[in-house]
Amino acid sequence: MLNNNNIYRPIRAKLTDVIDESSLIKTFVMVPEEEFSFKTGQFIELSVDGIGEAPFTPSSSPLITEQLEVTVMKTGYVTGLMHMMKPGEFMGIRGPYGRGYPIDRFFGKEVLILGGGCGLAPIRSLLFTLESVIDKLEKVVLCYGSKTPADCIYKPLFNRLNKIAKFEAHRTVDKPDDEWTESVGVVTSLLNKISMNLEKSVAVVCGPPIMMKFGTIRLLEMGYKEDQIYLSMEKNMSCGLGKCGHCMMGEFFVCKDGPVFTYDEIKYNPEIWK
Amino acid sequence: MKLKIDELKKIRFFDNYTDKQLKIFISISTIKEFKVKDILFEQYDELSDVYVLLAGCLSLGISLPKEKRIHLGTLEEGQLFSWSAVFSPYISTAWVMATCPTKVLAIDAKKLNLEFEKDCGFGLNTMSKIAQTISRRLSDTRFQLMNQLTL
Repeated sequence: MLNNNNIYRPIRAKLTDVIDESSLIKTFVMVPEEEFSFKTGQFIELSVDGIGEAPFTPSSSPLITEQLEVTVMKTGYVTGLMHMMKPGEFMGIRGPYGRGYPIDRFFGKEVLILGGGCGLAPIRSLLFTLESVIDKLEKVVLCYGSKTPADCIYKPLFNRLNKIAKFEAHRTVDKPDDEWTESVGVVTSLLNKISMNLEKSVAVVCGPPIMMKFGTIRLLEMGYKEDQIYLSMEKNMSCGLGKCGHCMMGEFFVCKDGPVFTYDEIKYNPEIWK
Repeated sequence: MKLKIDELKKIRFFDNYTDKQLKIFISISTIKEFKVKDILFEQYDELSDVYVLLAGCLSLGISLPKEKRIHLGTLEEGQLFSWSAVFSPYISTAWVMATCPTKVLAIDAKKLNLEFEKDCGFGLNTMSKIAQTISRRLSDTRFQLMNQLTL
């Protein structure tokens, strides 16, 4: 007999589209068969029937509840199988879990977002949310870095953002090709071209651990206070419920207490950048 | 062609100087313009000017054997570069190339060093800014190195 109260039971979601973002990254568009909603920054466990599950932060707008988008980088067995899935097939979703971005604390402020690689997936969801409350924000600046132009995901997003009032979006790549006309260098180099009012600003950092470390250091150098910097931590979340202990970082369960933390909450943790 | 004080104040690098100090910068600098693909200087060139990017786009990089150029990064408006002109042995550590029509402020480094001797506060402030530029470039280089080591 099916136990509907089972906290580990996933909801079935039908894939309606699979978008190639880069050679290793795809966005899966799915329609959950049951009511499902999340807050930006929260994560879900996405599963392939009979194979396994992995944690992802949805990349779609939390304001759209009828469908969900999850961007997945092919890194192992489960994500490799996900990349072989086609529209019409089913995935499982469990969650949402954890603490997302405290959007109301961003009101009246300038929001600087620093993203790298696949870290743009959760940021995309955040950007949609910020767009919906843009009247309450001073401005939103996105600085995004990827290794090569081919690794840049959500290409149309940048053009769109730069057309929205109060938004500005900058991109950089480590290795340009002949057609690349934007910045070259690591994502922190983009901070040389922007201007923020530090008294009325918060910063959000999301990306690979190395990028988050150097990004946070540069933000502190710029004058951001530790409680003005929000980090979206990815720490091997597994159960999503604070029970299995896979994601423990010091006294925190990243799955339950995070994944979004301010830097001052976790700065003393030796595992923060691992 | 010379900049005016008010124009200089709008450039990020010059944001905390007195009018007297800005006048010094103006008196020892000239505006230079470059076309696409112009090389401002090569790696290992002896430098005499320290530059501030006023407008345009510049690419910075290092050279490998067989004349292969590696792009390390782009410079942003208001950024200082060519800092090697201020320090012995005055040899550039990178090349810089214009990737679009570009205007820079070229400050005579020898004259600048003489001004530092006359006004140590001015020298300290400017050297602090130059050190900050170098520190950021070093930090970015470490970031790039870590990216390569963890591929």
